[in-house]
Amino acid sequence: MPSPPRQRIAITGAGIVSPLGLGWAHNERSLAADRTAFRKVDFFDTTGLIASTAGVVDLPDEPLFQRTPPHKQRYIDRGTRMLLLAIREALAQAGRSNLDGIDAMVIGSSAGAMPLGESYFEQARQDSGRVPSQLSRAEHYQPQRQMNSIADEFGWRGPVIIVSNACASGANAIGWAAEMIRSGRCKRVLAGGYDALARLVFAGFDSLRALAPSGIPRPFDAKRDGLALGEGAGVMLLEAEEARQSDAVADLTGYATATDLHHLTQPDPEGKAAIRTMTGACEQAGVSPEKIGYINSHGTGTPFNDVAEATAIAAWAGDAVKNIPVSSTKSAMGHLLGGAGAVEAVICLMALRGQWLPASLNIREIDPAVKFDLVQRFRRASLEHALTNSFGFGGTNATLVMQRRSA
Amino acid sequence: MNVEGIHIRGVGAVSAAGWSGADLLRVVREGMPLPTSNCVRPGDERPWPCATRLVPPPPPEKAARHPRLRRASAITRYSVAAAVEAMTDAGHDPAAPPKGLGILFTMMNGCVNYTGRFYQEVLQNPAQASPLIFPETVFNAPASHIASFLGVDGAVSTLVGSSNTIMEAFDAAACWLRTGLVDECLLIAAEECDWLSAEALTYYHPKLVASEGAAALLLSLKGEGPQVKNVIGPLCYTTWDERTALLPDLVRQTTARIDSASILIDDQCGIPRIDRPEACAWSETAFQAVRSPKKILGESMGAGSALNLALGVLETRDTRRPAVVSMPGTNTAAYACVITPA
Repeated sequence: MPSPPRQRIAITGAGIVSPLGLGWAHNERSLAADRTAFRKVDFFDTTGLIASTAGVVDLPDEPLFQRTPPHKQRYIDRGTRMLLLAIREALAQAGRSNLDGIDAMVIGSSAGAMPLGESYFEQARQDSGRVPSQLSRAEHYQPQRQMNSIADEFGWRGPVIIVSNACASGANAIGWAAEMIRSGRCKRVLAGGYDALARLVFAGFDSLRALAPSGIPRPFDAKRDGLALGEGAGVMLLEAEEARQSDAVADLTGYATATDLHHLTQPDPEGKAAIRTMTGACEQAGVSPEKIGYINSHGTGTPFNDVAEATAIAAWAGDAVKNIPVSSTKSAMGHLLGGAGAVEAVICLMALRGQWLPASLNIREIDPAVKFDLVQRFRRASLEHALTNSFGFGGTNATLVMQRRSA
Repeated sequence: MNVEGIHIRGVGAVSAAGWSGADLLRVVREGMPLPTSNCVRPGDERPWPCATRLVPPPPPEKAARHPRLRRASAITRYSVAAAVEAMTDAGHDPAAPPKGLGILFTMMNGCVNYTGRFYQEVLQNPAQASPLIFPETVFNAPASHIASFLGVDGAVSTLVGSSNTIMEAFDAAACWLRTGLVDECLLIAAEECDWLSAEALTYYHPKLVASEGAAALLLSLKGEGPQVKNVIGPLCYTTWDERTALLPDLVRQTTARIDSASILIDDQCGIPRIDRPEACAWSETAFQAVRSPKKILGESMGAGSALNLALGVLETRDTRRPAVVSMPGTNTAAYACVITPA
C-alpha cells in the first residue's frame, strides 16, 4: 500500500511548567539568567537517601480544576495540575481557550499518578478493613482517569493516548502525534509529557546510585556524579499545515525512534540507537548535521549516559561536530522523566523563536568525550534547526527536529 | 479508525485458562467459570472475600530462557509466551524475527508485584531498597524485555490505559504500518495480578474476580489472516453514565454491518449491575453464539479486551464466521469491531 502524502506539521502553541517557572516567559527569563532550581524535597520523606533535593515546581495555591467537585480535587495529582497549566498556555498561544477541534491528545508520562498509588498502598498496609476512600485512590491512580479530569475541564471528549516509554515518553508522544498528522489520520493533536516527583521513583533512582549526592547535576563534566530529579510538563499543539488555524511558532520536521537492546537501564556505550534516531529524524527533516543550530541533549549527568550520548553525537555529526552547540537543560531543572522530552522540545522552540541557546550549567572540567560546542553560558545565536534527544529506561530512544518559522 | 487491509497473521494468549490460545478457546467455549482462589494478603488477614483466577504455572515448553528474563515479572513472562505463540503462529521463528518488526505494548496497572515489593522496601528502609527491582517497576520494562528477547531494535512503545487500550495500539499499528515505520507489528496487552489490584477490584464490586494474562496479535499489511473490519469507536466518555448512554449507539453502528451468523464476544463479567448497560445494548441482536470470556476467566484489566480480540480471531478461524467483539471499556472510550475470516 503506498504511503499517504506527507504533511507539513506546524507547531502553533506550546506550554511549559518546570522548576524554573510556570509558563514560557518565566522559563525564558530563568534560562537567560543561567538559574538553577534545586531545593530540598519537602512533600515526601527523603531520610536515608543519598540525595534529598530536586527541581520542584511551585504550583499556584488556588484550585486549577474548576469543573472537578471539591471532594475530588485531592485526587488530582500534582503532575496532572502541571499538565493542565501547560495545556492552557499552549492553547492560549494558539489563540484558543478550549479543545474544540482537537482530534486527539497524546501524552507521555513515566509515573502517571504514582503518589496516589503510594497512598493506596500505604492505606492498605495500615488498615486491613475496607476503607471506602480506597476506591477513589485506585480509580485516580490510573493516568487515564487523571486525563479524564482534563477532558472534563474543557468539556471535551476525544481519544487520549498515554505513552509510557520511561524518560522518552514525552518525546515519543510528540513524535507519535506528528505521525498521526503525517499519515493523514488527524489534523490537530495536542501532545506532550509530564511527571511529578514521587517517593517511589525518587527512591528508585537513589537505589541505582543515579542521583548526584551533592544534588547538583553536572552533565558533560568529567567528574559528574549523577542526576537530579525534577518535575514538570510540556505541551505543544501540532497542526497539519493546510488545516492550521493560527500562526506557527515552528515546524516539527523530524522524528525517529529506536530501541537500545544493550541493558534495561544502561545505554550502549557507543550510543548506536541514538545515532540511528538522530540520523532518522534528520533524514525526515531533510537536514544534515551541520544545519543543526542547537541540540538539547538528553544529558542526564550520569557517567554512562553522557559519554554514550557525546560519543553518539560525534559519530553522527562527523566533521561538523565541533560547530554544533549542545547543552543539557537538566543541569538547571533536573530530569523531568516522562516530562523531560516534551519540556526540552518546548525549550528548543523557545530557542528557535528567541534565537538564543540555553546553557549546560555547573561544569568544572569538560569530559574528554565531548567533541561538540558545549554551551556553558546562555548566549545569543542564529539558528534555523534544533534537535532534542530523549533516552529512556528500557532502551527507548527518540529524537525530534524542529525548524524555525520566520516572522 | 481505519484498520482496513491489516491482516492478523498470528495470535497468542496466556490466561487463567492456560498458556495458549487453544486453551483460551476451549475453556471459554466450555462455558464453565473457572474455580476461584482466595487472594492472600501478605502478613495480614482480610475481613472480606477477595477472589482471583490466576494463570496456572507454565508448562515446561513455555518457560522462555533469556538473560533478561531471569528475574522478569509475571507480566513479562506471560507477554513473552503470548508473543512467541503469535510469532510461531504466523510462521516466524521467534529466534529470528523478521526485520522491520515493531512492538506496541498496552497495560493498565503494569508490573504491580515488583512495584509493591519495591515500595514496601522503600517504606521499611529506603537505603536498602533493591536497585535490581526498581527498573522492573517501570511501565515499559516488559516491552523492553520482549524487544531484547526477540531482538527488535526499532519502534517499541508502551501505552497505559483502560481495558481496551489495545484498540489505541491497533490504531497506532495501522499508522506505523502505513507510514512504513514498521513492516509488521506485534500488539501485546498484558496484566499481572497482586493482592493490591485484586482488592482494588472489590471496591468496584465485591464479587469482581481479579485475573491476569496476556494476548498478542501479529499484524501485517501483507500475507493472510483474519482482518479487523468495521471498527466503531473510540466513543469517548469520562463517567459511567456517559458510557451507559453511548453503548446503544455503539451497538447500533456495529449491528448495521453484521449478520446473524456472527459470533458475539462480549465484555460481561456476570455481575448484573456492571453488565446491564452492555447487556441491554446487545439484547435485540441475534447471534450464532455468544461468548463471555470474563464470566469464565475473571477481570484481567489491561489484558481484557485483547484476550477477547484473540478469542475472536480464534473463533473466526475455526468457524469461518465473523466475530463481533464488544469492548465498552472501563473509563475512557468504547469500541466494537468485526473480525472477518481470511
